[in-house]
Amino acid sequence: MRRCLWLLALAASIASPKPAFAEQFPIHGFVQAASSYRLIRPAACPPTQSLACEEPFILGEGRARLELAPRGEWWALNTKTELIYDAAGQDVNVDLREGYLDLRFPALDLRIGRQIITWGVGDLIFINDVFPKDWGAFISGLPLEYLKKGSDAVSATAHWAGTSLQLVLMPHFVADAVPEAGGRLSFFDPAAAIETRTTDDPSPSIEHTQVALRASRNLFGWDVSLSAYRGFFLSPAGEVEPGPRLRLFYPPLNVYGASAQGSALGGVLSFEAGYYDSRSDRSGRNPSVPNSSIGLLAGYQREIVPDLIVSGQYYVQVTQNYGAYLKTRSPAMPACCAARHVLTLRLTRLLFHQTLRLGLFVLGSPNEGDWYVNPEASYQVTDAISASLGFNFFGGPPWSPYGQFKGDSNAHAVLRYAF
Amino acid sequence: MRAPLVGWILGAMVIGAGAWPASAQAPPAEEIMRRAHLAMYYPGEDMRARITMRLVSKDGGERVREMTMARRTVREGGEQRYFVFFHRPPDVRDLAFLVWKYPGRDDDRWLYVPALKLVRRIAASDRHTSFVGSDFSYEDVSGREPEDDTHKLLREEPVGGREAYVVESVPKESADFSRKLSWIDRAMWLPLKEEYYDRRGDLARVYTAEEVKEVQGFWSAVKRSMRNVQSGHRTDAVFDDLRYNLKLSPELFSERALRAPPAELTR
Repeated sequence: MRRCLWLLALAASIASPKPAFAEQFPIHGFVQAASSYRLIRPAACPPTQSLACEEPFILGEGRARLELAPRGEWWALNTKTELIYDAAGQDVNVDLREGYLDLRFPALDLRIGRQIITWGVGDLIFINDVFPKDWGAFISGLPLEYLKKGSDAVSATAHWAGTSLQLVLMPHFVADAVPEAGGRLSFFDPAAAIETRTTDDPSPSIEHTQVALRASRNLFGWDVSLSAYRGFFLSPAGEVEPGPRLRLFYPPLNVYGASAQGSALGGVLSFEAGYYDSRSDRSGRNPSVPNSSIGLLAGYQREIVPDLIVSGQYYVQVTQNYGAYLKTRSPAMPACCAARHVLTLRLTRLLFHQTLRLGLFVLGSPNEGDWYVNPEASYQVTDAISASLGFNFFGGPPWSPYGQFKGDSNAHAVLRYAF
Repeated sequence: MRAPLVGWILGAMVIGAGAWPASAQAPPAEEIMRRAHLAMYYPGEDMRARITMRLVSKDGGERVREMTMARRTVREGGEQRYFVFFHRPPDVRDLAFLVWKYPGRDDDRWLYVPALKLVRRIAASDRHTSFVGSDFSYEDVSGREPEDDTHKLLREEPVGGREAYVVESVPKESADFSRKLSWIDRAMWLPLKEEYYDRRGDLARVYTAEEVKEVQGFWSAVKRSMRNVQSGHRTDAVFDDLRYNLKLSPELFSERALRAPPAELTR
C-alpha cells in the first residue's frame, strides 16, 4: 500500500520527462471516479444478500492507475497497477491488473506474467474465451475493460507461414469474479439459506495447470481459428454438505472450439462454435455440476451510414443429457430448456468528430425470457478528460442468467482523467 | 486569406524525369489523375511517418491525434497494406489499426483494442467515414481510385506560384461528393489543392498541400490541411520523420504486429 503511493509519487515527479526518455520509458495512467446507483431494489433479500437491500449504491470508488512500459528492440515490460478506494465499502486495495514481460524472437512471442487474454468473436457472448472475467464489474457498470481479468500465465505464440499457434499455461487458477454472498449485488442463490460456505481452489497443484491452445490463420480472406482448453469451469458450482454447509468448487472442463470472421454482405460476418466437455459429469446425472453443452454463435456487423454501426448476434447453447439433469435436480434448481436461445443487437453512433459516442446494447433470450439493456453515452470532454453515463437494466425470471440481476439494475457514471 | 502553399523546399531544377514537357499538349485528364494518384499514394515500395493531426473547431478548440503510419505497396496502383499505431490521446494510446486495401472491393480492416488484448475485424463498407474523427475520410488517407470518377481537364492555372492542371472529377456512382476540382502540379503530379462539392453543389471541403518537400527523391505533402467550409472545422496533418523504402517486411502487416507492434511500426 505504502509502496504503491510511493510509486505514484515517483510517477508524478517524472510525469513530464524529456521526450527521448519518455519514448523509452513511457509512464501513463489515469485517475477515475466511478459510481453506480441502484434503480430497482430487490424484492426481498436473504441474509446472505442483505447488503443488496440496504445499499442504494452498488459502486462508489476512486481509482488511480499507473502504467509503466519500458521496452527495447526485442523485449518489453508492461505493468498496470491500480490503487482503488472503495468509498461505499470504506476500503483501499492495490491491484496489479497486468504485469508481464514480452520477449520477441524471430518466429516466437513469449509473454510471461499477469496478462489479459481474449479469444473468440462474440460481443459479450463468450464461448471459447476461457479466461477469467469480472462479472461483478460488468453488472455494476464499470468500463468494459474491467470485465476481463488477468490470468497468471505463460503464453508462447509461434508464427509460421501465416499460421499462429498459441499455447497458454496457467498454473495458478483465477476464477471469474461473480456476485457473492455478503456482497452488494443481488443474484439467484439456490442455497441462500445456508450461510456457512467454503470454496475449493483447484490450484496450486502442478497437474491442475490449465492449458489452452489456439491455432489461427487467414484463409481465403477469413480469420479462422481452432482452439482447445483443459482446465475448470470459471464460475463455481455448489454442493450442500451435512451441517448444512455449502461447498463451492470449480468442476473440471475441456473446451473444443472454432471461429471464423470475414468481410461479407457489406459488413463483417462472425461464426463461433464450442463444445464444453464437463469431465466430471459426462452422464449429466450430477445436478450440482453443469452438464456438457454445445454453443453456437453467428454475428453480423455493418456501418450503415458513416459513424453509425449496427450489429446483431444469434447464440444458442444446447445442454447435453438435459433429461438426466431434470431427473436429478433439486426443486430449488432452475429448469427451463435444453436449448437457450439468445439474440443481441448493438447500435453505436459517433458524433461531434467522434468525441461523443452513443451506444445501445440489447440482449434477450426469447425462450428463457431474460434480458439485458444497456444504453450508454460517453463524451471526450478534452483529449485527457472523458465522462460517461449509462444504465444497466436486467429482467426476466429470477433464476435466469440475466433476470437474477434485476435488483442490480443501475445508473452509472464514470469520470476519467488520463495522462 | 492564407496562401495555399508555404514552405517550399525546391531544388534548382524541380522538373523531374516524370514531368510532362511544358511545351507539349496537356495529357488527357484520366492520365493526369492516374499520375496524381500514384504520386500521392504510391511513392516508394513502402513508407513510414509520424503523423500529428490537429482537429481544430470553428471556435479554436483543438484536439490532437498522434500516430505512426506505415504503408507497404503490394502492387503499384493496386493492393496496399497500412498499419497505424496511435500514440495519443490517452484513450486510444497503443491502439493499432491494420488495413488491407484492395482496388475494386471493400478493404479488410482490423482493430486491436489494447485494454482487452482483442483483435477484431471492423466493417469497412463506408470509405467516407471520418478517419479518427478528423476532416479526412478513410478514402482521403488511403486514396480513391481514379477509375471511380470521370475526369475533365478544365484549365491550367497557377497555385501558390506552381503551374497546375485543374481537373474536374464526377463520381460514376453515389459518393459523399458530387464533384471535385483538383489542382495537380504539372511537375510533381501531387494534388496541391482539392475542392469537394456536396450533393447540392455547394462547396463542402477544401484540401491543401501546405508544405511539399522532396524525401528520398519522392515529392511528398508533409503538411496537409482539410477544411470543412460548412462547419468551419479543419484538420491539419503534419508528417514527421517521413521515410520511404525502409524494406518493411510483409509480415509486419499482420495480426502478430497488431498484438505486439515491433519498434519498426511505432517509432
